Amino acid sequence: MLKQLFIKKDLRWTFIWILGILVAAVWDILFLNKPALRQVTTGFINTFTIALLVAVFTLLLAWGVTLALHFFEAQKNKTLYLLLTFLLNLIRSIPQIVGILFGYVGVSVLVQAGVLRSAAVIFPLLAFCVSLFVFIEFVDLMRERIAHYQKLDFYNAMRVCGISEGRVVNFDILWKNSRIHILNKLISVFGAAIFLQCSVDFIISVGLSTDVNAVTLPATMGSLLANIDSKQDILSIGYALTHPGYIGSLFFEHLLGITVAFLIVFSLMSIYHIANGYAERHRL
Amino acid sequence: MTLERYSVQIRSGERNIVSAANYDIFQDEITFLFGESGIGKSMVSKAVYGLLDPNELQVTVNGKPYASYLGEEVVKEIKKNSFFVFQEPSSHLNSLLKISDQLNEGSLRLAKDEAGIMARLWQNADAGAIRRILDVYPKPYRPSGGEKQRVLLAMAFKKIDVLLAAAGAGGRSFFVFDEPTGSLDNNYRNLFLELLFEKYTRRPFTVMVITHDYSVISELYAKYRSFLPRIHLQELRRRDGTEVEVVDFSAQEYLNWLGEAPAKAAPGAAGEPVLHFGGRFTVFGRDLCLYKDAAHTAGADLVIRKGEMVYVKAPSGVGKTTLAKVIMGLYPAQKMVMTLCGMQLTERTLKKAWAKKIWGRKAGMVFQHADESLNLAATVRETFEGLPLADKLGPERLSQVLAELFDGKITSAFLGKKVAMLSGGQKQRLNLLRTIVLATDLLILDEPLNGLDFLSVKKVLSILDKKRSEGTAMLMISHNEEIFDHFVDKEHVYYLAEI
Repeated sequence: MLKQLFIKKDLRWTFIWILGILVAAVWDILFLNKPALRQVTTGFINTFTIALLVAVFTLLLAWGVTLALHFFEAQKNKTLYLLLTFLLNLIRSIPQIVGILFGYVGVSVLVQAGVLRSAAVIFPLLAFCVSLFVFIEFVDLMRERIAHYQKLDFYNAMRVCGISEGRVVNFDILWKNSRIHILNKLISVFGAAIFLQCSVDFIISVGLSTDVNAVTLPATMGSLLANIDSKQDILSIGYALTHPGYIGSLFFEHLLGITVAFLIVFSLMSIYHIANGYAERHRL
Repeated sequence: MTLERYSVQIRSGERNIVSAANYDIFQDEITFLFGESGIGKSMVSKAVYGLLDPNELQVTVNGKPYASYLGEEVVKEIKKNSFFVFQEPSSHLNSLLKISDQLNEGSLRLAKDEAGIMARLWQNADAGAIRRILDVYPKPYRPSGGEKQRVLLAMAFKKIDVLLAAAGAGGRSFFVFDEPTGSLDNNYRNLFLELLFEKYTRRPFTVMVITHDYSVISELYAKYRSFLPRIHLQELRRRDGTEVEVVDFSAQEYLNWLGEAPAKAAPGAAGEPVLHFGGRFTVFGRDLCLYKDAAHTAGADLVIRKGEMVYVKAPSGVGKTTLAKVIMGLYPAQKMVMTLCGMQLTERTLKKAWAKKIWGRKAGMVFQHADESLNLAATVRETFEGLPLADKLGPERLSQVLAELFDGKITSAFLGKKVAMLSGGQKQRLNLLRTIVLATDLLILDEPLNGLDFLSVKKVLSILDKKRSEGTAMLMISHNEEIFDHFVDKEHVYYLAEI
């Protein structure tokens, strides 16, 4: 097991990531005040829950749209094919960050109006907003995989044996021959979801409204980073660079901001290495 | 006769790839090594020749680690005096060098008769045509696979010339031809043999020809009888799992079997044909025509009735596979007139009609490359899932089906094995069984004997004969003319040609 950790880069980085988070958790339990610890814990759980939901929604959306496009094309249903392609291109034309920002604004409005109250509804909605703007590249990947196998004898050989198109596409191509590619992409989507969420939450919390964030939307790492306390904590890093004697104080007196920044940056770096390691291990 | 026996074991990490206890090299004699595709013929030969990478694989030869084997004088001498013709010519040629330069690299430039060898291998084509090939920087698609293969053969023959011109014995040699005519038809295969024996007559050298083309035996017995005492026919057979052994192959067994041949297809029963395909059609801008005679004088519609086996012949590249795909509705053809099981089909027939009514129900097709037509990531069991069968194949029935072509007990471990882990021959058997198990009226088989050993060839033909006698109509496409000429009645042979 230990040997596998050293050989397989993705497993090694998963281990490093978990270990890093655990070390940060123990440190915070020991030295961070209770209200701040609660905030960090809530922000961390919320961020990663939404990111996980984004990955799930992206997979479902992409799989569904890929199948729809494939069957419209196979059945020569030009109208529906063109309509769906147009919709996808329309979404593709909107910059991700802008699209997600408007999605978040929409959710905030609904929350403020009292339409949405429960986190069980708000979380999936926020996740859906993000996945709506990242799933298209997932569709491209799946369509490429199907097109690749359609060029080979593989596809026709199965079809002329009477195996249904649905089984060939879903089971033989996407599940049996592309799940490694899909999982690799999902890891990247998970990382991208954390980054996009933090960016949008930060923008909303800092720039758009003083009312919306803390009261209405769930606390996330991005919104925590936008807190006045965190900002001061981050600024103290700059101060420590010119006053090295102050470095020691960072990990005791500025722990909230440092922890949030660490969790975001360290998680993104770890996820990047996990995805790369996974791709290398499976020779993608 | 000097015999050198090698025991070779090749592993990759925890996995044993192949173990051969008795790989024999007969000094200054010619060995033909048969065996099913993927059993390890090339791998073991490369190990003995010294071509494997000791950093990538754990290889032992005669119990010695590979690095120490590679340092032996005999291996150095073999590499200096010999040539290895690879099965896949593209992997040998350098895309950054013109073919003419590659034909004169290293010691090859010492050989004088390059033009003569090329002319022989190109059947005395004009100098301009050969020059055009020599000026090419090889790419995956240029020149063609057959031309690349002949370029490699020319290199090997040049190297033989260098050896023959050397003073004295010239040192130890080991010329390996790995499927040297895999991309060539029988005519070119015979040219290769002619050149090989010509050079061998000048002075003997050591040759290993790796092939699964058993029909070469007939050619040897017909034209090179005087060499038979210096020819060894051997077959690599699986003993257990990845353990293989080399056994003597009986030429007489093959020749006798061919003489007896399975019963030829009986005349078809009267009645409506299962397939009636108009003899002239256009596909991808090419006009193709079917004939009943080799001279292409009598054009004819392709008609197959119940219980008939029809064999379509044509040189490589004319369009035999294309014809099969047109019949199966995979390629659109113009001017096509076809009736399949009573259904009129044209190029306008929608694919979904083929999918709903024909594929796997009325007609099935075995594609020629098992590696491409099977899902390598699936298991043996999953390969048979999703087929439109009246009764679902349970583990017991599936084991019975597999036992028709696979030796030994069909275990659940085998059913759960990934197709990618099977040898080429095993994949081909699986490829055949997946279609044969269907209860279709028409069965199209494109190169059904590809990569099979003799035992499997016999079994496959026996199964096909049984299907035929049960009333299945069959369309056979194969470059293995010798076997199918014996297996199919002359009146059921068609010739395909471009107009």
